[in-house]
Amino acid sequence: MQSGLAVKAARVAIVVALFAIWEILSRTGIVNPRLLPSASDTLSTLGELLQRASVRKDLTVTATEVVTAFALAVPVGALIGFLIAENRYFAEVAKPLLFFAFSIPKSIFLPMFILVFGVGFSQKVGFGFFSTIFIVIISTTTAVESVKVEHLTVARSYGATPVQTAFRVYLPSMLPVLLEALRISMIFNLTGVILAEMYASRDGIGHQIATWGENFQMKQLLAGVVMIAAIAIAFNELVRWVETRCSHWRT
Amino acid sequence: MQPLANITPLKPAGAIEVRNVGQIFKTTTQDVVALEDVSLDVKPGRFVVLVGPSGCGKSTLLMMIAGLRQQTSGTITISGAPIPEPDPNRVGVVFQEASLFPWLTAEENVEFPLALRGVTKNDRRARAQDALQLVGLDGFGKRHPHELSGGMKQRVSIARGLVQDPPVLLMDEPFAALDEQTRMTMGDELLRIWAATGKTVVFVTHSLTEAVYLADEVIVMSPRPGRIVDHLQVSLPRPRTYEMLSGDAFGSLRDRIWRHIRKSA
Repeated sequence: MQSGLAVKAARVAIVVALFAIWEILSRTGIVNPRLLPSASDTLSTLGELLQRASVRKDLTVTATEVVTAFALAVPVGALIGFLIAENRYFAEVAKPLLFFAFSIPKSIFLPMFILVFGVGFSQKVGFGFFSTIFIVIISTTTAVESVKVEHLTVARSYGATPVQTAFRVYLPSMLPVLLEALRISMIFNLTGVILAEMYASRDGIGHQIATWGENFQMKQLLAGVVMIAAIAIAFNELVRWVETRCSHWRT
Repeated sequence: MQPLANITPLKPAGAIEVRNVGQIFKTTTQDVVALEDVSLDVKPGRFVVLVGPSGCGKSTLLMMIAGLRQQTSGTITISGAPIPEPDPNRVGVVFQEASLFPWLTAEENVEFPLALRGVTKNDRRARAQDALQLVGLDGFGKRHPHELSGGMKQRVSIARGLVQDPPVLLMDEPFAALDEQTRMTMGDELLRIWAATGKTVVFVTHSLTEAVYLADEVIVMSPRPGRIVDHLQVSLPRPRTYEMLSGDAFGSLRDRIWRHIRKSA
């Protein structure tokens, strides 16, 4: 595309401009620098934080919790979603209930998770899992429904076995929707784990951010925000990149 | 002694025999008789077209001949043997437009039936090339369906149906979604491919003109319950030409079909 480069340049310009406005607001004192440390200060604090062993340990803790919750929620949710979508009766019964469950803000259940699991690894993973699984189930049912009956008939007419149909028709049909689901699920998952850490925890980057906030350590707090934002954006973009490679045929 | 002499000779490859076939769809409220007592003989290498108003069960009959659906009563044999499930060695099926897999290239779509049977990659590719060449799509193998026109997509579908070289090709309204000009061209193309391969073709359509233009024989069906109401021999010479469309012979055949359909509609 001819305008592709111009669009990208405009995007970069907006990000740079935002950081510049942030810097100016803080430097000129339009916004109190104690409330909003400048962008350059924040970024240098971020660099410093990343050097610290304790912060790296917090990041490792959070990453382990996020990955564990994700690795549990995605296959379990996908399996449940698949079973529901494949059975018309189940689908009819379960779908509205799922939407009910999905519409409830998950954060109100957080105290219960603490009571059941105590404060620790399983509480975070449990809450991350709980925050993620409904969107995985719902997305999987959507993905199954995106498989065209015509394609299944074609496979059958050429003698495909159930396993061949699963891998050669279901999977490629569902892949674009599933990747999108994966991406959105990660957003829910990350939110769940970090929220659980901020609410009650002894370690993890969410806990650190909450502590920095309570202690009015604005530089550290903002650096933490930038760090998590960068990690979340990086994951999202990675999956989006895979998505575009796998779904070029979708027009 | 000739050991083979004692064996009942099989029906020749490509013969289709439909005997007293009925199909009843059970719904929660009632049973719908989709087809009733349908009998039909298709000799090898013939081009037979099924026409009839919507709901006459012509597509259902085709799906039963393909082994994709089982009849409630009666028997269907292809090359002398019943067809309890789809058998791509005996029958290739060409569906309506949306049947290609959009994530595969044209040649991968054509290779699909071969891939299911574990044919090696090189062998697959070679046979797909031959099939694509036969349908006039040489050089388009690397394109994805969304990069092909409606007519080209249906050529790929035909190539996929022919790639295992089955004696029978079943076609379920394959050109229904195409515009009029493309449809005419594809009709001529199909006749060329049919003449080159000698397949038995059973073709379902709504279009009376298409039916008479393509067929050796036209089977006219009536709706609910689906029955055969007429069986016409089309004795127009081949190759068929555009000029025949305006001839008297063509017109009287089409009128005869139309009278049946108007009566039952």
